[in-house]
Amino acid sequence: MRPLSRTALRPYVCPSCQLGRLPVRRRFASHSPSSSNSSPPEIYDVVCVGGGPAGLGLLAALRASPATSKLKVALVETQDLAKARSWSLDSQQFSNRVSSLTPSSVSFLKKIGAWDYLDTARAQPYQEMQVWDGETGSRISFDWSMETSPFEDLRPVATMTENTNLVRALLSRIAASGDDNLSIFSNTTVSSITNGTESPNGPDLSAWPVLSISPTAAAAASSQPPTRIAARLLVGADGINSPVRRFADISTDGWDYNRHGIVATLSLADLDPVPFPLGTRTAYQRFLPSLGGPIALLPLPNNHATLVWSTTVENAAYLKSLSPKAFLAMVNAAFRLSMTDLQYMLRMDRPATVSDAEDPHENELAWRLEHTPQPPHLPPTVTGVQEGSVASFPLRFRHATSYVSPRVALVGDAAHVIHPLAGQGLNLGMGDVASLAETISYAVNHGMDVGDLLTLERYAGDRYATNAKIGGACDVLHKLYNVPGNGPVAWARSLGLEVIDRVPFVKGLLMKNAEG
Amino acid sequence: MPPRPTLRSLSHTLKKPLSHTRPHSTSSSTSSNNSSVSADELTHFSSLASSWWDPQGPSRALHLMNPLRHDFIAGCLAEFDPITTTPSTPTPSASPHNNTLRYLDIGCGGGIFAESLARTIPGPGKSTRTTTAITNRTRTRAASITAIDPSPTLIKIARDHARMDPAVNAHLENGVFEYRNCSLEDLIATTFTSSSASSSSSFSSTPSPSPSPSPSPSPTSQTQSTPTDPRYDIVTLFEVIEHIDNIRGLSSPQTFLQNCLSMVRPGGWLIGSTIARTFPSWLVNQVIAEAPWPIGVVPRGTHEWAKFVNPGELEGWVHEGLVRVEEDGAVSRANAETGAEAGAGRWTPRAGGVRASCIFPVWAGGW
Repeated sequence: MRPLSRTALRPYVCPSCQLGRLPVRRRFASHSPSSSNSSPPEIYDVVCVGGGPAGLGLLAALRASPATSKLKVALVETQDLAKARSWSLDSQQFSNRVSSLTPSSVSFLKKIGAWDYLDTARAQPYQEMQVWDGETGSRISFDWSMETSPFEDLRPVATMTENTNLVRALLSRIAASGDDNLSIFSNTTVSSITNGTESPNGPDLSAWPVLSISPTAAAAASSQPPTRIAARLLVGADGINSPVRRFADISTDGWDYNRHGIVATLSLADLDPVPFPLGTRTAYQRFLPSLGGPIALLPLPNNHATLVWSTTVENAAYLKSLSPKAFLAMVNAAFRLSMTDLQYMLRMDRPATVSDAEDPHENELAWRLEHTPQPPHLPPTVTGVQEGSVASFPLRFRHATSYVSPRVALVGDAAHVIHPLAGQGLNLGMGDVASLAETISYAVNHGMDVGDLLTLERYAGDRYATNAKIGGACDVLHKLYNVPGNGPVAWARSLGLEVIDRVPFVKGLLMKNAEG
Repeated sequence: MPPRPTLRSLSHTLKKPLSHTRPHSTSSSTSSNNSSVSADELTHFSSLASSWWDPQGPSRALHLMNPLRHDFIAGCLAEFDPITTTPSTPTPSASPHNNTLRYLDIGCGGGIFAESLARTIPGPGKSTRTTTAITNRTRTRAASITAIDPSPTLIKIARDHARMDPAVNAHLENGVFEYRNCSLEDLIATTFTSSSASSSSSFSSTPSPSPSPSPSPSPTSQTQSTPTDPRYDIVTLFEVIEHIDNIRGLSSPQTFLQNCLSMVRPGGWLIGSTIARTFPSWLVNQVIAEAPWPIGVVPRGTHEWAKFVNPGELEGWVHEGLVRVEEDGAVSRANAETGAEAGAGRWTPRAGGVRASCIFPVWAGGW
């Protein structure tokens, strides 16, 4: 017998709520709803809205599994996927949207055959991660050395991959699966989602989502009428403002962090002591409690790195307005100087004209470095910033109250948006997709309707708690490392960090959790 | 003793009803007086109808159990493949896929199992892709399914629900999937008697060679009235036997089982599941499951513990039933082979060399 307590813990079924939720109006329309009910919609088994890594990952996974490869699937994406498919960049240039893939995400991509299409010369695994507290200096390092014999190579902690590279690989994988039962509506928007209708003699589609899709304004050379497609299962992989989620009338909980993440592609100086063993790469993250969040430098191939600096909106605006030289000085300073120094430098006047010779931020950094004791394990000096790669995005926390509704499932950012400090966002999305694909495959093998709530609750039950745990952990870390000064909180978090660093069991557990 | 079903002649009636849409309506139901159908049970389950497909409703346990039935059937087919021993009877529609088994679901209720099985029948078309054999067939290898239930309400629920899935609805329309509102006894009567033109051979374990002169399986031979075995490759009986009344002289699980066996083609499977009469099952099904809200999940009176069936009894009935069916000439070679384990629940007697395998249903599906 299963323990009764699990009934109480089940996150996705509260029968009374469930019943209250089912009969709500389900409708989403950005334009006036089209009333072209004349022709019956074309019926698909799975319709995925959104062609990002999550949506494409789901499609690739469905195409790769023998049980689900015969399902009739469709993908709707606003962007031009042909462009994404043919994306290419010089080997010394990197997109600024880079994600760290955990080993479980990598093994999922390998399993569905997408990894073979990834340009691995542009992906950079790293075997070690150094994290320290900018206020107290307490430090923790993550690697798999405690589980590796001295004769083996260290397992990577994660692999840095440009999102464009990943998207291209997934598109190639999907293309390689042939085009039987596959429709990709690129350059296409969803203008409305409604419930279908019951035809007197035919099937009753009144509980099926029917999408009206039309070419985007940019691509609409000929103004053809919107196509209508019905979905046995409608998957929302359509991001934080998910139209699919609105159609299903699923609300989200969450808040804005009032922080921005600054990203940039940087080039590094050679690391002074050559790392041993050769080729070992390290990621660095320093928490800056007085500045609103951590700064992280994550390795890319050819001595490049990607920057993710979470900071207040004002700081972000200031940093973005700096000249490249001053920006680099600030990045180097952020890994080396004290909170007080950094706060001063973030308020310095910006020179009206950019002069080649002298940069006030550079001078300030050089002078202050002479008076600051430097800890070991500093990242290499940042020497260049790729033109046009400095950008920022708002940091938010969102969690959908449910991942599923009859004939609707949410994956990726449509279901959850978390703080990027642990680099878990995309990995949670990959976990969702792997789980949903698994669920669909099980359903197909057991005669279940893939859109039925009984099928989908397996997916929700599998993912909801996991995502809430990781999202919550990131949120707690963010709050813990936003308490400035040397008060009791700083003392306690430093003690905690030191303890975790010294007790291999706890650290291993933590890493396994983060790995997914 | 109730009159045993007598197998008078080989008939070839089955193709006809299957090729038409919904030939049967509620007319033939419940009229027969030698029915195994209990009036109380009928009323009770008809009153449950509205919540039958509610995933959170009283039938939730059945819904959660349903995938395991597919696993179980797949396990049975892996253990003994009906196809390898005897070539199957032609399916009603020429199937381009490699699914060849004909299913009969007795006591389908609202269609939880029948509909899920129908979903595994490959759709029509796609005959162009003739990639071969085993990879292409589904786990249950269903080519068609006939589902019967004596309750008109439940059959209506089942049909209405099936219409909500275009794929299943298409199967209903082209006849490979059929709901019939009749009792098992009615089905036997219509199956074995309606044909006047009796053909020669009695059923035997070696498949009766078809009298049709043309050996080539041309598409037209499907539409001609080739006499085929009207019995089914797989007869399923999920959560039914515990609802059969045991009234001396009128109805008993034993005669009911015997009737089920008479619908199994030699070499086929009778697959079912039920609840054993044990202390845990009393505690779970009577005390906990039928407790008042908020503990209970099913309405009072859903189960009667005294009607539950233990593996030993079941095995005895199946052996007895096989012998009697054999006396009727339906199944030869009914070598009763005992393989009973003390256990509850799932049993799989196989006609023609019966083996009753009982499996403990340590059922821990996500509640």
